[in-house]
Amino acid sequence: MPRLREKLSLLWLVQHPLVATCILLALTLLLPYTRVAERLKLVTFLPLAHAAPDVPQAEESGLSETERARRELLFERERVAQLAAENAALAAALAGARALAEPDPAFAAAVLPPAVPARVIFHGDASTWRHCLWINRGRAHGIVEFMPVVSGRTLIGRVYMAGDNHACVQLVTDPGFAASCVIVDPARPGAAARGVLRGNASARPHFPRLELEDVPLGDSVSAGQRVLTSDFSGQFPPGLNVGVVREVIPQAGFLQVRLEADLDLARLDVVQVLLHKRPELEAQALALLRRGKG
Amino acid sequence: MNAARAFLERTVAPRARWRLLLAAGLGLSALHALALPRLNLGEYTPDLFTLFALYVGLYASRQGRYWPSLVLGLVRDFFSLGLLGVYAVLYSLLHKAASRARTKLDPDSPLVAPLLAFGGVFAVNAGCHFLLAAGGAGVGWNAALGRAAATAAVTAPFAIAVFPLLHWVLARLGYVRSQGGFFNF
Repeated sequence: MPRLREKLSLLWLVQHPLVATCILLALTLLLPYTRVAERLKLVTFLPLAHAAPDVPQAEESGLSETERARRELLFERERVAQLAAENAALAAALAGARALAEPDPAFAAAVLPPAVPARVIFHGDASTWRHCLWINRGRAHGIVEFMPVVSGRTLIGRVYMAGDNHACVQLVTDPGFAASCVIVDPARPGAAARGVLRGNASARPHFPRLELEDVPLGDSVSAGQRVLTSDFSGQFPPGLNVGVVREVIPQAGFLQVRLEADLDLARLDVVQVLLHKRPELEAQALALLRRGKG
Repeated sequence: MNAARAFLERTVAPRARWRLLLAAGLGLSALHALALPRLNLGEYTPDLFTLFALYVGLYASRQGRYWPSLVLGLVRDFFSLGLLGVYAVLYSLLHKAASRARTKLDPDSPLVAPLLAFGGVFAVNAGCHFLLAAGGAGVGWNAALGRAAATAAVTAPFAIAVFPLLHWVLARLGYVRSQGGFFNF
């Protein structure tokens, strides 16, 4: 009995750190709803979120009129350059969307939910197996977990955890990411193949190559076709760009479809978080039933 | 008598251990998150964090058992999307394995160091994928093991230069190396 008491003491755990860590790991696995570990990680990035204000602020009292005017000019130039880059990216995304909307009116009718623009404050992950970025918007701006994150009309990822004023975005290249997608052929509207996009922990996250799983063997899929999100799971709004089919490899029963993503993820400065919530299961079932009747 | 003296020297109290480990952990996290991906080396990106964890397992003071590796792993976990504790467990196991290997192999040898680095980095990356797969986010074992082997192969040669460099840095910082070969950190 004394031996048992000794084993259960805190000192015993301190002397056996591996056991303590296994308990910690088990707690993070078994108690996902408490999200203790995620909250701790959010605290780590809190200073960074505060250190990246939207508009650069500086002491103006000591500046002369000319210095102040020069500084404002510099800020304006920087802002114009940033807006021009963003405009070019959005114009490219819009052109892609129009090209797709011509053969498929349903795509054009799909309206995106309202979005919250956010600035990327940290890009990268200490592990080579995971891919994420941090943004300077959080719960205070209406962002909650699992909301889709886009740039223009291109899917970037989803909100993984959200603090009050910052959030972590799980990128499409992360192995834990999955999204229901359709492969559309502009030449043959209506004939769309379905599949599941999964991040493959691509070691080159800047120029991601993604894979689409569970595409039936009989479906006609060829290089050059576009991949868009579908609302099959309700997690993402339909019609978000994902990428272009580059290679199709027949496997046992399924096609392995390799894609090239539309965006260079490393160059992202500004992203938009779509205020889209996954519908409740009942609402989703009703929507599917209605679509079946129609 | 020599054995007793070596044992006593092994138990030299560590100096500024946590400061050193936290600084190294933060620096290596920044290197892995910000600098190394920009080189766009793909699967051949070296895993310098694990190499440092192996160094800690091989040369850190034996006092406190594998807490140093665990803390180093926790630092990496904090800057990663994965579950908190993944790298902490893996680095603790690496520490234990390195301690065992040290009794049979001389890590100061330029032939042995890359071998230990290859084994350590491969095991940690394979273990990382094992934990990913356990959480339902695996990428397939063929791809994962190939990637772990590529990462280990590119990291192993770094051990020839990095281990002596770290010995030199620690000596410059005033850390003492005991007869058993352990530094007092």
